[in-house]
Amino acid sequence: VSSQQFSALTEVLFRFLTEPKEVERFLAQLADFATMNKISLGPLKNIVKSILLVPNGALKRNLSSEQVKADFIALGLSEEKASYFAEQWKVNSPTLTRLAVGQTLMINQLIDMEWKFGVTAGSSELEKVGSIFLQLKLVIKKGSQLENVYVELTLPQFYSFLHEMERVKTSLESFS
Amino acid sequence: QLVSALHNLTRHVVYCGLTRAEDVLSLFPENFHQNLKNLLTKIILENVSTWRNEAQASQISLPRLVDMDWRVDIKTSSDSIIRMAVPTCLLQLKIQEDAALCGNNPVVSALTVELSKETLDTMLEGLGRIRDQLSAVANK
Repeated sequence: VSSQQFSALTEVLFRFLTEPKEVERFLAQLADFATMNKISLGPLKNIVKSILLVPNGALKRNLSSEQVKADFIALGLSEEKASYFAEQWKVNSPTLTRLAVGQTLMINQLIDMEWKFGVTAGSSELEKVGSIFLQLKLVIKKGSQLENVYVELTLPQFYSFLHEMERVKTSLESFS
Repeated sequence: QLVSALHNLTRHVVYCGLTRAEDVLSLFPENFHQNLKNLLTKIILENVSTWRNEAQASQISLPRLVDMDWRVDIKTSSDSIIRMAVPTCLLQLKIQEDAALCGNNPVVSALTVELSKETLDTMLEGLGRIRDQLSAVANK
């Protein structure tokens, strides 16, 4: 495989790694690559599978680009191609790391929050009320489903909630 | 019959939000016993604000927040990355279902929600906006 073809292939690979949902596009690009370079698709797919193992393992173990390059050379790739791949790795690894962290298990993740507040005008017990209430709608991901939770807060509760959340933010920031 | 009448009287006072003695006194019929009328009015007025607060607390409403706890964890490892240090927040909200529906046994459920730093920042932005809107309304 010439170095030009290798760079093109590497590009295709990284584009897939940074957007793992674009499976069809990846397969289509692989097929194009195969026809353009007169390689048959079957063996190409096998090679690509083994190549992909390297970045995935590297990501898990937070390998530096030096180590990735060493891995490739150990696998029998030429020095030049290994360097090129390692370079691409350095450029893409923040995105890839962020993606991997994003895939980490989250329990009941908060997806969205909507609110409204208003005044209670009257009720069956009290003719004139005039108290302010705040209603929050939290959209939570439970497993693979979204669930809406509605909560009402009084004003003092809202202020202490805000205060607590600001404390959480300070805490999270001190750990980043 | 007496209890029922008293009940209606107190409900009416609370409903209309009467706070002055004259208003309550005017509710009694013409030839009602004077001292009894004054005594009842005095007792009712003493209790009016307590009753009002209770009525407001047991209004129909969406489920209400009763308590809230949080903790910050640091994720160190997962099946997709072996070593990392990502802080995350776990928030537990204790929510009580509509008091009117539950009668004397309110159902309190605990909801635990996980927030990443980005989600928390967005949420704080939203809460800040609520606070600004509230002050704008209060200052009008």
